[in-house]
Amino acid sequence: MNPADRRLPVVVGVYATEQALSLPDRDAMDLALEAVSGALMDAGLAPSDVDGAQVDWPGPGGVPGEGSSWARVLGRDLRWTSDSMLDNAGSRGLLKAAAAVRAGFADTVVVGGCRLVSRGTGPVGAGVALEFADVWGSYVVAQFALVAARHMHEYGTTSRQLAEVAATIRNNGTTNPEAMMYGRGPYTADDVLASRMVATPFHLLDCCIVGEGGAALVVTTAERARDLPHPPVAVLGGGMQYHQAAYANPALYREVGGLGRPAAERAYAMAGIGPHDVDVFSLYDPNSFEVIRQLEILGLCGEGEGGPLAASGAIAVGGKHPVNPDGGCLAYAWNGTQQMTLKVVEAVRQLRGTAVHQVAGAELAVVGNAGSGAQHYEMSVLGRMR
Amino acid sequence: MSRPVPVPTQLSRPFWEAARRGELVVPHCPTCGLRFFVPEPACPGCMARDWRYAPSAGRGTVYSVTVVHRAPGPGFDTPFALAVIDLDDGATLLAHVDAGDPGDVVIGLRVHVDFRALTDEITLPYFVPENRPSPSITE
Ligand SMILES: [Zn+2]
Repeated sequence: MNPADRRLPVVVGVYATEQALSLPDRDAMDLALEAVSGALMDAGLAPSDVDGAQVDWPGPGGVPGEGSSWARVLGRDLRWTSDSMLDNAGSRGLLKAAAAVRAGFADTVVVGGCRLVSRGTGPVGAGVALEFADVWGSYVVAQFALVAARHMHEYGTTSRQLAEVAATIRNNGTTNPEAMMYGRGPYTADDVLASRMVATPFHLLDCCIVGEGGAALVVTTAERARDLPHPPVAVLGGGMQYHQAAYANPALYREVGGLGRPAAERAYAMAGIGPHDVDVFSLYDPNSFEVIRQLEILGLCGEGEGGPLAASGAIAVGGKHPVNPDGGCLAYAWNGTQQMTLKVVEAVRQLRGTAVHQVAGAELAVVGNAGSGAQHYEMSVLGRMR
Repeated sequence: MSRPVPVPTQLSRPFWEAARRGELVVPHCPTCGLRFFVPEPACPGCMARDWRYAPSAGRGTVYSVTVVHRAPGPGFDTPFALAVIDLDDGATLLAHVDAGDPGDVVIGLRVHVDFRALTDEITLPYFVPENRPSPSITE
Protein backbone atom coordinates (compact mmCIF):
# COMPACT_ATOMS: atom_id res chain seq x y z
CA MET A 1 0.00 0.00 0.00
CA ASN A 2 1.41 3.32 -1.01
CA PRO A 3 0.51 5.94 1.63
CA ALA A 4 0.56 8.61 -1.06
CA ASP A 5 -2.14 6.73 -3.02
CA ARG A 6 -4.96 9.07 -2.13
CA ARG A 7 -7.59 7.36 -4.28
CA LEU A 8 -6.86 3.87 -2.97
CA PRO A 9 -10.36 2.38 -2.45
CA VAL A 10 -11.01 1.48 1.17
CA VAL A 11 -13.93 0.01 3.12
CA VAL A 12 -14.85 2.33 5.98
CA GLY A 13 -18.27 1.07 7.04
CA VAL A 14 -19.98 -2.31 7.32
CA TYR A 15 -23.29 -3.43 8.74
CA ALA A 16 -25.36 -6.59 8.99
CA THR A 17 -29.00 -6.54 10.04
CA GLU A 18 -30.43 -9.31 12.15
CA GLN A 19 -30.35 -12.59 10.21
CA ALA A 20 -33.06 -15.16 10.80
CA LEU A 21 -34.94 -18.00 9.19
CA SER A 22 -37.86 -15.62 8.85
CA LEU A 23 -38.38 -11.97 9.74
CA PRO A 24 -42.15 -11.77 9.42
CA ASP A 25 -42.34 -8.23 10.79
CA ARG A 26 -39.79 -6.87 8.33
CA ASP A 27 -39.91 -6.27 4.58
CA ALA A 28 -37.01 -5.99 2.15
CA MET A 29 -37.16 -2.17 1.93
CA ASP A 30 -37.08 -1.84 5.70
CA LEU A 31 -34.05 -4.14 5.92
CA ALA A 32 -32.26 -2.36 3.06
CA LEU A 33 -32.78 1.02 4.74
CA GLU A 34 -31.50 -0.31 8.04
CA ALA A 35 -28.45 -1.80 6.30
CA VAL A 36 -27.57 1.45 4.52
CA SER A 37 -28.12 3.60 7.62
CA GLY A 38 -26.14 1.17 9.73
CA ALA A 39 -23.18 1.08 7.34
CA LEU A 40 -23.12 4.89 7.12
CA MET A 41 -23.23 5.20 10.90
CA ASP A 42 -20.41 2.68 11.22
CA ALA A 43 -18.43 4.75 8.70
CA GLY A 44 -19.15 8.00 10.54
CA LEU A 45 -20.74 9.43 7.40
CA ALA A 46 -24.02 11.21 6.71
CA PRO A 47 -26.42 10.19 3.92
CA SER A 48 -25.43 13.29 1.97
CA ASP A 49 -21.78 12.17 1.99
CA VAL A 50 -22.72 9.31 -0.33
CA ASP A 51 -22.45 9.95 -4.08
CA GLY A 52 -22.81 6.36 -5.27
CA ALA A 53 -25.42 3.73 -4.42
CA GLN A 54 -25.15 0.14 -5.59
CA VAL A 55 -28.00 -0.89 -3.35
CA ASP A 56 -31.15 -2.96 -3.85
CA TRP A 57 -34.31 -0.87 -3.96
CA PRO A 58 -37.11 -3.36 -3.49
CA GLY A 59 -39.78 -0.73 -2.81
CA PRO A 60 -42.44 0.23 -1.91
CA GLY A 61 -41.62 3.78 -2.92
CA GLY A 62 -39.35 4.97 -5.69
CA VAL A 63 -39.24 2.58 -8.63
CA PRO A 64 -38.63 -1.02 -7.49
CA GLY A 65 -35.35 -2.29 -8.96
CA GLU A 66 -34.01 1.18 -9.83
CA GLY A 67 -30.95 2.12 -7.81
CA SER A 68 -31.46 5.79 -8.56
CA SER A 69 -34.41 5.65 -6.18
CA TRP A 70 -31.78 6.00 -3.42
CA ALA A 71 -30.99 9.56 -4.51
CA ARG A 72 -34.25 10.76 -3.05
CA VAL A 73 -33.80 9.28 0.42
CA LEU A 74 -30.08 10.03 0.57
CA GLY A 75 -31.09 13.60 -0.18
CA ARG A 76 -28.68 14.29 -3.03
CA ASP A 77 -27.98 13.57 -6.67
CA LEU A 78 -25.90 10.44 -7.23
CA ARG A 79 -22.92 10.02 -9.57
CA TRP A 80 -22.97 6.24 -9.63
CA THR A 81 -25.66 3.59 -9.25
CA SER A 82 -26.67 0.07 -10.25
CA ASP A 83 -29.92 -1.69 -11.04
CA SER A 84 -28.47 -5.19 -10.71
CA MET A 85 -28.93 -7.33 -7.60
CA LEU A 86 -25.58 -9.03 -8.23
CA ASP A 87 -23.76 -5.71 -8.65
CA ASN A 88 -25.14 -4.70 -5.27
CA ALA A 89 -23.49 -7.39 -3.21
CA GLY A 90 -20.24 -8.92 -2.05
CA SER A 91 -16.94 -8.94 -3.87
CA ARG A 92 -18.56 -8.07 -7.18
CA GLY A 93 -20.30 -5.03 -5.73
CA LEU A 94 -17.20 -4.07 -3.79
CA LEU A 95 -14.91 -4.32 -6.83
CA LYS A 96 -17.25 -2.29 -9.03
CA ALA A 97 -17.57 0.36 -6.34
CA ALA A 98 -13.79 0.34 -5.89
CA ALA A 99 -13.33 0.75 -9.65
CA ALA A 100 -15.69 3.73 -9.63
CA VAL A 101 -13.86 5.29 -6.69
CA ARG A 102 -10.45 4.62 -8.23
CA ALA A 103 -11.52 6.13 -11.55
CA GLY A 104 -13.05 9.16 -9.91
CA PHE A 105 -16.63 8.55 -11.07
CA ALA A 106 -17.67 8.64 -7.42
CA ASP A 107 -15.99 9.26 -4.07
CA THR A 108 -18.15 7.36 -1.58
CA VAL A 109 -20.26 4.38 -2.63
CA VAL A 110 -22.67 2.30 -0.57
CA VAL A 111 -23.10 -1.34 -1.63
CA GLY A 112 -25.74 -3.68 -0.26
CA GLY A 113 -29.42 -4.10 0.36
CA CYS A 114 -31.87 -6.89 0.89
CA ARG A 115 -33.81 -9.24 -1.33
CA LEU A 116 -36.15 -11.64 0.41
CA VAL A 117 -35.63 -14.60 -1.91
CA SER A 118 -36.91 -16.94 0.76
CA ARG A 119 -40.39 -15.51 0.28
CA GLY A 120 -40.57 -16.45 -3.39
CA THR A 121 -42.38 -19.53 -4.60
CA GLY A 122 -40.52 -22.69 -5.40
CA PRO A 123 -36.94 -23.65 -4.68
CA VAL A 124 -34.09 -21.20 -4.37
CA GLY A 125 -32.56 -21.09 -7.79
CA ALA A 126 -32.02 -18.84 -10.75
CA GLY A 127 -35.27 -17.00 -10.16
CA VAL A 128 -36.33 -17.50 -13.77
CA ALA A 129 -37.69 -20.54 -15.60
CA LEU A 130 -34.88 -22.70 -17.00
CA GLU A 131 -36.23 -24.80 -19.83
CA PHE A 132 -33.73 -27.66 -19.75
CA ALA A 133 -33.02 -27.72 -16.00
CA ASP A 134 -36.25 -27.22 -14.04
CA VAL A 135 -38.02 -30.16 -15.65
CA TRP A 136 -35.34 -32.50 -14.31
CA GLY A 137 -35.60 -31.20 -10.77
CA SER A 138 -32.22 -29.54 -11.08
CA TYR A 139 -31.63 -26.85 -8.47
CA VAL A 140 -28.76 -25.15 -6.71
CA VAL A 141 -27.86 -27.99 -4.36
CA ALA A 142 -27.96 -30.53 -7.19
CA GLN A 143 -25.84 -28.40 -9.52
CA PHE A 144 -23.10 -28.08 -6.89
CA ALA A 145 -23.49 -31.80 -6.14
CA LEU A 146 -22.70 -32.65 -9.76
CA VAL A 147 -19.37 -30.82 -9.43
CA ALA A 148 -18.58 -32.35 -6.04
CA ALA A 149 -19.37 -35.88 -7.24
CA ARG A 150 -16.90 -35.58 -10.11
CA HIS A 151 -14.18 -34.18 -7.83
CA MET A 152 -14.70 -37.12 -5.48
CA HIS A 153 -14.51 -39.51 -8.44
CA GLU A 154 -11.30 -38.01 -9.80
CA TYR A 155 -9.40 -37.36 -6.58
CA GLY A 156 -10.86 -39.66 -3.96
CA THR A 157 -12.26 -36.80 -1.93
CA THR A 158 -14.46 -38.37 0.74
CA SER A 159 -17.81 -37.67 2.33
CA ARG A 160 -16.04 -37.55 5.68
CA GLN A 161 -13.75 -34.78 4.45
CA LEU A 162 -16.82 -32.85 3.34
CA ALA A 163 -18.40 -33.49 6.74
CA GLU A 164 -15.29 -32.20 8.55
CA VAL A 165 -15.63 -28.92 6.64
CA ALA A 166 -19.31 -28.62 7.50
CA ALA A 167 -18.73 -29.43 11.17
CA THR A 168 -15.86 -26.94 11.49
CA ILE A 169 -17.74 -24.01 9.98
CA ARG A 170 -21.02 -24.92 11.70
CA ASN A 171 -19.22 -24.96 15.04
CA ASN A 172 -18.03 -21.39 14.40
CA GLY A 173 -21.67 -20.40 14.04
CA THR A 174 -22.71 -22.37 17.10
CA THR A 175 -20.68 -20.00 19.25
CA ASN A 176 -21.43 -16.76 17.33
CA PRO A 177 -24.37 -14.98 19.01
CA GLU A 178 -25.24 -13.25 15.69
CA ALA A 179 -25.53 -16.56 13.85
CA MET A 180 -28.85 -18.11 12.89
CA MET A 181 -27.58 -21.44 14.22
CA TYR A 182 -26.18 -20.00 17.46
CA GLY A 183 -26.26 -22.58 20.21
CA ARG A 184 -27.31 -25.41 17.91
CA GLY A 185 -24.07 -27.37 17.99
CA PRO A 186 -21.49 -28.53 18.53
CA TYR A 187 -21.37 -30.83 15.54
CA THR A 188 -19.03 -33.66 14.67
CA ALA A 189 -18.36 -35.04 11.22
CA ASP A 190 -20.41 -38.07 12.29
CA ASP A 191 -23.39 -35.78 12.98
CA VAL A 192 -23.11 -34.42 9.45
CA LEU A 193 -22.85 -37.90 7.96
CA ALA A 194 -25.86 -39.03 10.00
CA SER A 195 -28.10 -36.19 8.78
CA ARG A 196 -30.53 -37.03 6.01
CA MET A 197 -29.37 -37.04 2.41
CA VAL A 198 -30.42 -34.07 0.27
CA ALA A 199 -28.59 -34.81 -2.99
CA THR A 200 -25.56 -37.08 -3.00
CA PRO A 201 -22.92 -36.38 -1.78
CA PHE A 202 -24.60 -33.67 0.30
CA HIS A 203 -26.30 -34.43 3.60
CA LEU A 204 -28.56 -31.83 5.15
CA LEU A 205 -25.75 -30.53 7.36
CA ASP A 206 -23.41 -30.23 4.36
CA CYS A 207 -25.77 -27.61 2.95
CA CYS A 208 -26.20 -23.96 3.86
CA ILE A 209 -29.18 -22.57 5.68
CA VAL A 210 -31.74 -20.26 4.07
CA GLY A 211 -32.99 -17.14 5.79
CA GLU A 212 -33.64 -13.44 5.66
CA GLY A 213 -31.61 -10.33 6.36
CA GLY A 214 -29.71 -7.44 4.81
CA ALA A 215 -26.20 -6.04 4.77
CA ALA A 216 -24.25 -3.07 3.44
CA LEU A 217 -20.75 -1.64 3.19
CA VAL A 218 -19.26 1.77 2.36
CA VAL A 219 -16.30 2.30 0.04
CA THR A 220 -14.43 5.58 -0.23
CA THR A 221 -10.92 6.88 -0.92
CA ALA A 222 -7.99 6.51 1.45
CA GLU A 223 -7.85 10.30 1.58
CA ARG A 224 -11.49 10.64 2.65
CA ALA A 225 -11.02 7.83 5.19
CA ARG A 226 -8.34 9.64 7.17
CA ASP A 227 -10.67 11.30 9.65
CA LEU A 228 -13.25 8.51 9.90
CA PRO A 229 -13.66 6.47 13.09
CA HIS A 230 -12.47 2.99 12.03
CA PRO A 231 -9.12 2.03 10.59
CA PRO A 232 -9.76 1.72 6.85
CA VAL A 233 -9.59 -1.64 5.12
CA ALA A 234 -7.99 -1.35 1.68
CA VAL A 235 -9.23 -3.11 -1.45
CA LEU A 236 -5.82 -4.40 -2.55
CA GLY A 237 -6.87 -6.60 -5.43
CA GLY A 238 -9.68 -8.49 -7.04
CA GLY A 239 -10.76 -10.64 -9.92
CA MET A 240 -13.93 -12.03 -11.43
CA GLN A 241 -14.77 -14.93 -13.72
CA TYR A 242 -18.02 -15.71 -15.53
CA HIS A 243 -18.17 -19.10 -17.23
CA GLN A 244 -21.79 -18.83 -18.30
CA ALA A 245 -25.12 -17.80 -16.88
CA ALA A 246 -26.00 -19.79 -13.80
CA TYR A 247 -27.96 -23.05 -13.68
CA ALA A 248 -29.29 -23.15 -17.29
CA ASN A 249 -26.61 -25.66 -18.23
CA PRO A 250 -25.18 -28.16 -15.77
CA ALA A 251 -21.91 -27.17 -14.11
CA LEU A 252 -19.25 -29.56 -15.42
CA TYR A 253 -16.21 -30.18 -13.23
CA ARG A 254 -13.95 -30.17 -16.29
CA GLU A 255 -15.10 -26.62 -17.05
CA VAL A 256 -15.67 -25.10 -13.61
CA GLY A 257 -13.41 -27.16 -11.32
CA GLY A 258 -10.81 -24.42 -11.63
CA LEU A 259 -13.31 -21.57 -11.70
CA GLY A 260 -11.83 -18.53 -10.00
CA ARG A 261 -8.16 -19.59 -10.17
CA PRO A 262 -7.18 -17.00 -12.81
CA ALA A 263 -9.18 -14.37 -10.91
CA ALA A 264 -7.33 -15.23 -7.70
CA GLU A 265 -3.96 -15.14 -9.43
CA ARG A 266 -4.72 -11.68 -10.82
CA ALA A 267 -5.98 -10.49 -7.46
CA TYR A 268 -2.89 -11.72 -5.60
CA ALA A 269 -0.62 -10.10 -8.19
CA MET A 270 -2.51 -6.83 -7.90
CA ALA A 271 -2.14 -6.95 -4.13
CA GLY A 272 1.51 -8.01 -4.33
CA ILE A 273 0.91 -11.02 -2.09
CA GLY A 274 0.66 -14.80 -2.32
CA PRO A 275 -2.05 -17.11 -1.01
CA HIS A 276 0.02 -18.13 2.02
CA ASP A 277 0.21 -14.50 3.16
CA VAL A 278 -3.56 -14.42 3.73
CA ASP A 279 -4.62 -14.60 7.38
CA VAL A 280 -8.34 -15.27 7.04
CA PHE A 281 -10.72 -16.43 4.32
CA SER A 282 -14.35 -15.46 3.94
CA LEU A 283 -15.52 -17.96 1.34
CA TYR A 284 -18.79 -18.97 -0.24
CA ASP A 285 -20.01 -22.08 1.53
CA PRO A 286 -23.33 -23.07 -0.03
CA ASN A 287 -22.13 -26.55 0.84
CA SER A 288 -19.09 -28.19 2.37
CA PHE A 289 -17.50 -29.18 -0.93
CA GLU A 290 -17.27 -25.69 -2.36
CA VAL A 291 -14.88 -24.75 0.47
CA ILE A 292 -12.61 -27.66 -0.52
CA ARG A 293 -12.63 -26.52 -4.14
CA GLN A 294 -11.79 -22.95 -3.16
CA LEU A 295 -8.77 -24.05 -1.09
CA GLU A 296 -7.46 -25.44 -4.38
CA ILE A 297 -8.26 -22.56 -6.72
CA LEU A 298 -7.07 -19.98 -4.22
CA GLY A 299 -3.64 -21.62 -4.36
CA LEU A 300 -3.48 -23.08 -0.85
CA CYS A 301 -2.95 -26.59 -2.25
CA GLY A 302 -2.89 -28.42 -5.54
CA GLU A 303 -5.94 -29.60 -7.46
CA GLY A 304 -7.43 -32.60 -5.73
CA GLU A 305 -5.64 -31.88 -2.43
CA GLY A 306 -8.39 -29.74 -0.91
CA GLY A 307 -10.17 -32.59 0.90
CA PRO A 308 -7.22 -33.70 3.03
CA LEU A 309 -6.19 -30.08 3.65
CA ALA A 310 -9.66 -29.05 4.81
CA ALA A 311 -10.01 -32.10 7.03
CA SER A 312 -6.60 -31.52 8.64
CA GLY A 313 -7.87 -28.69 10.82
CA ALA A 314 -6.39 -26.00 8.56
CA ILE A 315 -9.69 -24.15 8.13
CA ALA A 316 -10.46 -23.82 11.86
CA VAL A 317 -10.15 -20.39 13.48
CA GLY A 318 -6.80 -21.40 14.97
CA GLY A 319 -5.68 -23.25 11.84
CA LYS A 320 -3.30 -22.30 9.03
CA HIS A 321 -6.06 -21.04 6.73
CA PRO A 322 -9.09 -20.04 8.81
CA VAL A 323 -12.31 -20.08 6.77
CA ASN A 324 -15.56 -18.37 7.79
CA PRO A 325 -14.98 -17.75 11.50
CA ASP A 326 -18.51 -16.26 11.65
CA GLY A 327 -20.12 -19.57 10.75
CA GLY A 328 -20.57 -18.72 7.07
CA CYS A 329 -23.63 -19.64 5.07
CA LEU A 330 -23.64 -23.01 6.82
CA ALA A 331 -24.46 -21.54 10.22
CA TYR A 332 -24.33 -17.73 10.35
CA ALA A 333 -26.64 -16.68 7.50
CA TRP A 334 -27.63 -17.15 3.90
CA ASN A 335 -30.07 -14.47 2.86
CA GLY A 336 -30.05 -14.41 -0.96
CA THR A 337 -27.61 -12.13 -2.75
CA GLN A 338 -26.64 -10.20 0.39
CA GLN A 339 -24.98 -13.27 1.90
CA MET A 340 -22.12 -12.18 -0.36
CA THR A 341 -21.94 -8.83 1.43
CA LEU A 342 -21.87 -10.64 4.77
CA LYS A 343 -18.60 -12.22 3.60
CA VAL A 344 -17.10 -8.74 3.23
CA VAL A 345 -18.54 -7.65 6.57
CA GLU A 346 -16.79 -10.54 8.34
CA ALA A 347 -13.49 -9.91 6.52
CA VAL A 348 -13.57 -6.22 7.49
CA ARG A 349 -14.35 -7.05 11.12
CA GLN A 350 -11.46 -9.52 11.16
CA LEU A 351 -9.09 -6.87 9.80
CA ARG A 352 -10.35 -4.31 12.30
CA GLY A 353 -9.79 -6.86 15.07
CA THR A 354 -13.44 -6.78 16.14
CA ALA A 355 -14.75 -10.14 14.93
CA VAL A 356 -16.62 -12.50 17.24
CA HIS A 357 -14.11 -15.26 16.54
CA GLN A 358 -11.07 -13.13 15.92
CA VAL A 359 -8.09 -14.53 14.02
CA ALA A 360 -5.19 -13.09 16.01
CA GLY A 361 -3.38 -10.30 14.20
CA ALA A 362 -5.24 -10.68 10.91
CA GLU A 363 -3.84 -8.24 8.34
CA LEU A 364 -4.90 -9.77 5.02
CA ALA A 365 -8.22 -11.33 4.12
CA VAL A 366 -9.70 -12.92 1.01
CA VAL A 367 -13.39 -12.77 0.16
CA GLY A 368 -14.76 -15.31 -2.33
CA ASN A 369 -18.31 -15.26 -3.65
CA ALA A 370 -20.39 -17.62 -5.77
CA GLY A 371 -18.72 -20.77 -7.03
CA SER A 372 -18.57 -23.73 -9.33
CA GLY A 373 -22.25 -24.69 -9.40
CA ALA A 374 -23.22 -21.07 -10.05
CA GLN A 375 -20.51 -20.84 -12.76
CA HIS A 376 -19.19 -17.48 -11.63
CA TYR A 377 -16.65 -16.37 -9.02
CA GLU A 378 -15.72 -13.02 -7.56
CA MET A 379 -12.70 -12.70 -5.33
CA SER A 380 -11.17 -9.76 -3.52
CA VAL A 381 -8.13 -9.20 -1.35
CA LEU A 382 -8.55 -6.84 1.59
CA GLY A 383 -5.84 -5.48 3.85
CA ARG A 384 -5.67 -3.62 7.12
CA MET A 385 -4.02 -0.23 6.67
CA ARG A 386 -1.20 0.42 9.08
CA MET B 1 -48.98 -30.23 -8.50
CA SER B 2 -46.81 -31.45 -11.32
CA ARG B 3 -43.18 -30.83 -12.12
CA PRO B 4 -42.25 -27.76 -14.23
CA VAL B 5 -43.15 -28.23 -17.89
CA PRO B 6 -40.75 -26.74 -20.45
CA VAL B 7 -42.18 -23.94 -22.57
CA PRO B 8 -40.65 -24.26 -26.04
CA THR B 9 -39.04 -21.15 -27.49
CA GLN B 10 -38.03 -20.15 -30.98
CA LEU B 11 -34.67 -21.78 -30.24
CA SER B 12 -35.92 -25.00 -28.73
CA ARG B 13 -39.14 -25.81 -30.58
CA PRO B 14 -37.48 -28.21 -33.11
CA PHE B 15 -35.85 -30.08 -30.20
CA TRP B 16 -39.19 -30.73 -28.54
CA GLU B 17 -40.90 -31.59 -31.84
CA ALA B 18 -38.18 -34.15 -32.54
CA ALA B 19 -38.42 -35.55 -29.00
CA ARG B 20 -42.12 -36.09 -29.50
CA ARG B 21 -41.26 -38.15 -32.60
CA GLY B 22 -38.75 -40.13 -30.51
CA GLU B 23 -35.68 -38.49 -32.04
CA LEU B 24 -32.84 -36.81 -30.16
CA VAL B 25 -31.46 -33.77 -31.95
CA VAL B 26 -28.81 -31.29 -30.81
CA PRO B 27 -27.63 -27.98 -32.23
CA HIS B 28 -24.87 -28.45 -34.82
CA CYS B 29 -22.85 -25.64 -36.36
CA PRO B 30 -21.91 -26.27 -40.01
CA THR B 31 -19.37 -23.43 -39.89
CA CYS B 32 -17.13 -24.79 -37.11
CA GLY B 33 -18.54 -28.28 -36.65
CA LEU B 34 -19.43 -27.86 -32.97
CA ARG B 35 -22.35 -29.71 -31.44
CA PHE B 36 -23.64 -28.07 -28.30
CA PHE B 37 -26.43 -28.00 -25.77
CA VAL B 38 -28.50 -26.10 -24.62
CA PRO B 39 -29.50 -24.21 -27.78
CA GLU B 40 -28.06 -20.69 -27.91
CA PRO B 41 -28.86 -17.81 -30.24
CA ALA B 42 -25.37 -18.18 -31.74
CA CYS B 43 -22.80 -20.98 -31.86
CA PRO B 44 -20.57 -21.06 -28.74
CA GLY B 45 -17.67 -22.10 -31.01
CA CYS B 46 -17.75 -19.36 -33.64
CA MET B 47 -20.81 -17.19 -32.94
CA ALA B 48 -22.40 -18.21 -36.26
CA ARG B 49 -26.14 -17.82 -36.17
CA ASP B 50 -27.04 -20.38 -38.82
CA TRP B 51 -26.65 -23.56 -36.76
CA ARG B 52 -29.16 -26.34 -37.33
CA TYR B 53 -30.43 -29.27 -35.31
CA ALA B 54 -28.76 -32.54 -36.23
CA PRO B 55 -29.69 -36.06 -35.13
CA SER B 56 -27.83 -37.80 -32.30
CA ALA B 57 -27.69 -41.56 -31.87
CA GLY B 58 -28.59 -40.94 -28.22
CA ARG B 59 -25.75 -42.97 -26.73
CA GLY B 60 -23.38 -41.64 -24.15
CA THR B 61 -21.55 -41.87 -20.85
CA VAL B 62 -22.45 -40.49 -17.43
CA TYR B 63 -19.95 -37.69 -16.66
CA SER B 64 -21.39 -36.93 -13.23
CA VAL B 65 -24.45 -37.84 -11.21
CA THR B 66 -26.25 -36.85 -8.05
CA VAL B 67 -29.01 -38.87 -6.46
CA VAL B 68 -31.58 -36.28 -5.47
CA HIS B 69 -33.49 -37.20 -2.30
CA ARG B 70 -35.04 -33.81 -1.69
CA ALA B 71 -36.70 -32.54 -4.87
CA PRO B 72 -36.92 -28.80 -5.45
CA GLY B 73 -40.69 -28.96 -5.75
CA PRO B 74 -43.69 -31.22 -6.16
CA GLY B 75 -44.14 -33.69 -8.98
CA PHE B 76 -40.90 -35.61 -8.66
CA ASP B 77 -40.57 -39.20 -7.50
CA THR B 78 -37.59 -39.23 -5.17
CA PRO B 79 -34.93 -40.40 -5.07
CA PHE B 80 -33.91 -39.92 -8.69
CA ALA B 81 -30.56 -39.93 -10.48
CA LEU B 82 -29.85 -36.54 -12.05
CA ALA B 83 -26.95 -36.98 -14.42
CA VAL B 84 -24.75 -35.14 -16.86
CA ILE B 85 -24.40 -37.19 -20.01
CA ASP B 86 -21.66 -36.81 -22.60
CA LEU B 87 -23.18 -37.95 -25.88
CA ASP B 88 -20.84 -40.05 -28.05
CA ASP B 89 -21.56 -37.86 -31.05
CA GLY B 90 -21.05 -34.56 -29.25
CA ALA B 91 -22.85 -32.26 -26.83
CA THR B 92 -23.49 -32.75 -23.11
CA LEU B 93 -26.87 -32.67 -21.48
CA LEU B 94 -28.68 -32.99 -18.19
CA ALA B 95 -31.26 -35.78 -17.75
CA HIS B 96 -32.48 -38.45 -15.40
CA VAL B 97 -30.97 -41.88 -15.76
CA ASP B 98 -33.49 -44.54 -14.83
CA ALA B 99 -31.61 -47.63 -13.72
CA GLY B 100 -34.25 -48.92 -11.35
CA ASP B 101 -32.10 -48.23 -8.30
CA PRO B 102 -30.75 -44.67 -8.65
CA GLY B 103 -27.70 -45.73 -6.65
CA ASP B 104 -26.69 -47.89 -9.61
CA VAL B 105 -26.12 -44.81 -11.73
CA VAL B 106 -22.41 -44.14 -11.45
CA ILE B 107 -19.87 -42.03 -13.28
CA GLY B 108 -18.77 -43.82 -16.43
CA LEU B 109 -22.02 -45.74 -16.86
CA ARG B 110 -22.94 -46.27 -20.51
CA VAL B 111 -26.46 -45.07 -21.27
CA HIS B 112 -28.85 -44.51 -24.14
CA VAL B 113 -31.85 -42.29 -24.61
CA ASP B 114 -35.33 -43.47 -23.68
CA PHE B 115 -38.10 -41.03 -24.51
CA ARG B 116 -41.02 -40.65 -22.11
CA ALA B 117 -44.02 -38.39 -22.60
CA LEU B 118 -44.57 -35.76 -19.93
CA THR B 119 -47.50 -33.94 -21.57
CA ASP B 120 -49.16 -34.01 -25.00
CA GLU B 121 -46.58 -31.55 -26.22
CA ILE B 122 -43.45 -32.40 -24.21
CA THR B 123 -41.63 -35.72 -24.39
CA LEU B 124 -38.48 -35.98 -22.29
CA PRO B 125 -35.21 -37.66 -23.20
CA TYR B 126 -34.59 -39.92 -20.21
CA PHE B 127 -31.60 -42.22 -20.31
CA VAL B 128 -31.29 -45.85 -19.28
CA PRO B 129 -28.27 -48.15 -18.89
CA GLU B 130 -26.98 -49.39 -22.21
CA ASN B 131 -27.66 -53.06 -21.54
CA ARG B 132 -31.34 -52.34 -21.10
CA PRO B 133 -33.48 -52.52 -24.24
CA SER B 134 -35.49 -49.47 -25.22
CA PRO B 135 -38.24 -49.22 -27.81
CA SER B 136 -36.95 -45.83 -28.87
CA ILE B 137 -33.61 -47.11 -30.16
CA THR B 138 -33.62 -48.89 -33.50
CA GLU B 139 -30.42 -50.67 -34.36
ZN1 LIG C 1 -19.71 -22.62 -34.84
